[in-house]
Amino acid sequence: MQPMIIILKDGTDSSQGKSQVLSNISACQAVTEAIRTTLGPRGMDKLIVDGRGKATISNDGATILKLLEIIHPAARTLVDIAKSQDAEVGDGTTSVVLLTGEILKNARTFIEDGMHPTIIIRAIRKATALATKKVKEIAVHIKMDNIKEQRALLEKCARTTLSSKLIARQRDFFSKMVVDSVLMLDELLPLNMIGMKKVTGGSLEESRLVAGVAFKKTFSYAGFEMQQKKYLKPKIALLNIELELKAERDNAEIRLDNVAEYQKIVDAEWSILYNKLEKLHASGVNVVLSKLPIGDVATQYFADRDMFCAGRVQEDDLRRTQKACGGAIITTIENLDDKVQQVFGTCELFEETQIGSERYNFFTGCPKAKTATMILRGGADQFIDEVERSLHDAIMIVRRAVKNDSIVAGGGAIEMALSRTLRDFSRTIPGKEQLIIAAYAKAFEVIPRQLCENAGFDATNILNKLRQKHAENNIWFGVDIMNEDVTDNFIAAVWEPAVVKINAITAASEAACLILSVDETIKVPKSSAEPSNAAKAMNMV
Amino acid sequence: MPSVGTLAFDEFGRPVLILKGQESKKRLFGIEAHKSHILAGKAVADTLKTSLGPRGMDKCMVSPDGDITITNDGATILSMMHVENEIGKLLVQLSKSQDDEIGDGTTGVVVLAGALLEHAEALLDKGIHPIRIADGYELAAKVALEHLDKIAETYPLDLKKLDPLINTAMTTLGSKIINRCQRQMAEIAVNAIMNVADMERRDVNFELIKVQGKVGGRLEDTLLVKGVVVDKTFSHPQMPKEVRDAKIAILTCPFEPPKPKTKHKLDITNVEDYKKLREYEKEKFTEMIKAIKDSGANLVICQWGFDDEANHLLLSHELPAVRWVGGPEIELIAIATGGRIVPRFQELTAEKLGFAGHIRELDFGTTSEHMLCIEQCKKSNTCTIFVRGGNKMVVEEAKRALHDALCVVRNLVRDNRIVYGGGACEISCAIEVAKEANKIPTIEQYAIRAFADALESVPLALAENSGYSPIKTLSDVKAQQIAQNNPRLGIDCLNTGTNDMKAQTVIETLIGKRQQISLATQLVRMILKIDDIRLPGEAEE
Repeated sequence: MQPMIIILKDGTDSSQGKSQVLSNISACQAVTEAIRTTLGPRGMDKLIVDGRGKATISNDGATILKLLEIIHPAARTLVDIAKSQDAEVGDGTTSVVLLTGEILKNARTFIEDGMHPTIIIRAIRKATALATKKVKEIAVHIKMDNIKEQRALLEKCARTTLSSKLIARQRDFFSKMVVDSVLMLDELLPLNMIGMKKVTGGSLEESRLVAGVAFKKTFSYAGFEMQQKKYLKPKIALLNIELELKAERDNAEIRLDNVAEYQKIVDAEWSILYNKLEKLHASGVNVVLSKLPIGDVATQYFADRDMFCAGRVQEDDLRRTQKACGGAIITTIENLDDKVQQVFGTCELFEETQIGSERYNFFTGCPKAKTATMILRGGADQFIDEVERSLHDAIMIVRRAVKNDSIVAGGGAIEMALSRTLRDFSRTIPGKEQLIIAAYAKAFEVIPRQLCENAGFDATNILNKLRQKHAENNIWFGVDIMNEDVTDNFIAAVWEPAVVKINAITAASEAACLILSVDETIKVPKSSAEPSNAAKAMNMV
Repeated sequence: MPSVGTLAFDEFGRPVLILKGQESKKRLFGIEAHKSHILAGKAVADTLKTSLGPRGMDKCMVSPDGDITITNDGATILSMMHVENEIGKLLVQLSKSQDDEIGDGTTGVVVLAGALLEHAEALLDKGIHPIRIADGYELAAKVALEHLDKIAETYPLDLKKLDPLINTAMTTLGSKIINRCQRQMAEIAVNAIMNVADMERRDVNFELIKVQGKVGGRLEDTLLVKGVVVDKTFSHPQMPKEVRDAKIAILTCPFEPPKPKTKHKLDITNVEDYKKLREYEKEKFTEMIKAIKDSGANLVICQWGFDDEANHLLLSHELPAVRWVGGPEIELIAIATGGRIVPRFQELTAEKLGFAGHIRELDFGTTSEHMLCIEQCKKSNTCTIFVRGGNKMVVEEAKRALHDALCVVRNLVRDNRIVYGGGACEISCAIEVAKEANKIPTIEQYAIRAFADALESVPLALAENSGYSPIKTLSDVKAQQIAQNNPRLGIDCLNTGTNDMKAQTVIETLIGKRQQISLATQLVRMILKIDDIRLPGEAEE
């Protein structure tokens, strides 16, 4: 008898071959099904409650997939591409997953028929290259010289993104806000310079954009209420210094052998704090913000001298204040007077205002206002959270569009155009690849089909209408959600930046290729199984 | 249709796990999900329905610790119900955000949202797409809001004539337990707001109004103190119970020898040193007393305690003192008396003292409890409402009711447009919305009509709670409104013989009503948009 050779660790799960590819494909399709209904303006939301009981309501593909806690290895690829789409362009996360699922679904029949995956992969690669080229070719460039035109373009892109979100009704309002906020930024368009603050209560339309910084009133000590709450052109000091009466060194101990020394020590401690405060006061600062706590003594000191202070300011808020108002974050109060004032920031107006039940500090009219803050209002926490995610998507799209001025029409139009081009192309090649490219072309139709299905239209009917329009070279015809028909979406101003589509196509194809190329999964059991094995061994002995 | 939640199988028929803990997760999908949301929403709204209006009933809630709360404030009821259902939680937040923003109408907003959901159910059964229902609701809400603006009346806001304001406050209080002394309470609320209102900015700082309660006495004994009431007594029983023309030293340092914050140790090796230490401490006490005397203060308020020796010294120097006064109270006292909070004895000067014309200790019946009442302050724009009542529950509920009344008056200060209550404006809006519905060519027409029906749920509940036949009463009023074209007709809850709400002076603020409609609509949209719920399994808990 042959001796049995154990190569893998006990309990390792391995499966391979054609059936493995097929099983991976079904897993991916199962995941795709989960987010299928969120696509488009008639897409629905999902409510997901996690293990800790926190509820999230979302329509964003990446968010949903993240919360589903997918453990299947192949299906996880989809989560990753959704995430990468989110990171790269911020929107289109649902469509990228749908597209991957559909490519895989169409490839499935070929695998079943015994076609080798590498051939399929090669064909998909070719088709992808072709598709991206086509997108670039037909994308319309909008002249950016005219600020007014640029604005119009950006607003339309933002509107398209927002139309599938919870705030679709208010999309005019919010698209303006998003564009305003992005245009306030500097060339690099850093995302973290747009702050979003959420205050429950109020209606959506009460959300507003602050050209500058706003943050919630921090915890305050007695004396705070006596401080002035409004300054015109204040001088702002941003500190990273603790202004509290406390032990300067934690592990120090003082030994006294004389009572008279006692008072000296106490005085010394006070003078450390007072020194700091006096220096600040002497420098003529009106508003003091600190990342570290500002204690009650300091609060009262400032109140006495008509200065405003806020301690424990969140770091990113402080940074944004710095960006907006200028100045530097000060880590020591020495040399304050020496440098010629450039350590301090300023702005037109500082004010504390009540929003809902919260109080907010506003810094407006900042000289270097390369930052913006959105204050979002709405009925419930989950509601505002979803609004924030939607606006994030819109901001990302607008940022992309600012850098990249070519656009395509959404609502399934670009997908139909690509589908047609690829189908025409496939007929020109001999060999197996013809079939695969045709299948790839068909996969693009999933987007308009799903849009119709979610809206409750007859998908086949609409798709046929679209195919006919596209055959007549009306490349911008897409689904008209409002009237259950097809329409020229370029004229209807359903616009998306071309780069979003290019990224989606490449990401989806790559993911599909990746999944197709895997023919074996080896799953090592969790290490927690080990002690139980050891325990078994112990028992045997 | 394969979907996550159902099992996927690989080629050997083994189930493939795609999600973590997939077997135990619960999922509701599609129309079932909608039905379950609507059921949950309706259940929550039904609980509140009976507390609406002047004839509404109260709810008694027992917390896990056995604390009893009796209230008819919607937000309070919901927050104490500990709703588990996710949709229920959204409604809780809805009422909370109404509370934060407006302070009143928390029951109405939930009843409205519940009614909207209920009517959506019928539409769903007809096969209308949930998002189209939501779209229709938003269209209708817009019509209703425009109509509200049209029927709103500007209210005279005159500091000399407070009667109109008092009437509004009375409407709010009408539905509360304290409507026995409605007028008195309303006057208190209006006076309190007028005391602190900043008419220039049309803003009211609520932190300047404190509502204190004490069990005992009658509701009628409730009074407005233009000053501060502190739940403390003089530190020594022999100190005078009443001080006139008090000059107050407000201290945040304890009456004890100063200690360094750094860890320290005092080595005492002989008797001499020990005596010195005693001397030193004594000296410190006298120094402190002297500092206070020198500044001219005749009353000391201290955030911290003092030991018996200091107490005795204060008494012998005829300095009445109060100790352990909390931070927020110290601040209020400082603001009211125009004094400054002093963190060190060395800094005590005559300018930093606060001034109050009359300070006295209040005592209550035969109990040994006392409270300190600081009146006739220099800057008397802080005030305290001191609520009395037969038992704790009444006092607590009276406080909540007063809070609502205060909010309403504040809202009028901010925006002095009003609409008429008693369901009048809802009926008027419903008529208008129903009229508009016929002009809409699409399916949304049904949703708009449903919205009109839902608006009528508020007057229906009012009539029902008042013991009328709800449908008959409503249709009567509606017919009258149309016949007389008079949007001021509502439900005559108190049976006074007229249903003209102007004559009855049942008044609500416009922003409150607007907020109710827009918040409820937005929330309902959010709920309708969810078609998929995933809950973690029980096993994980």
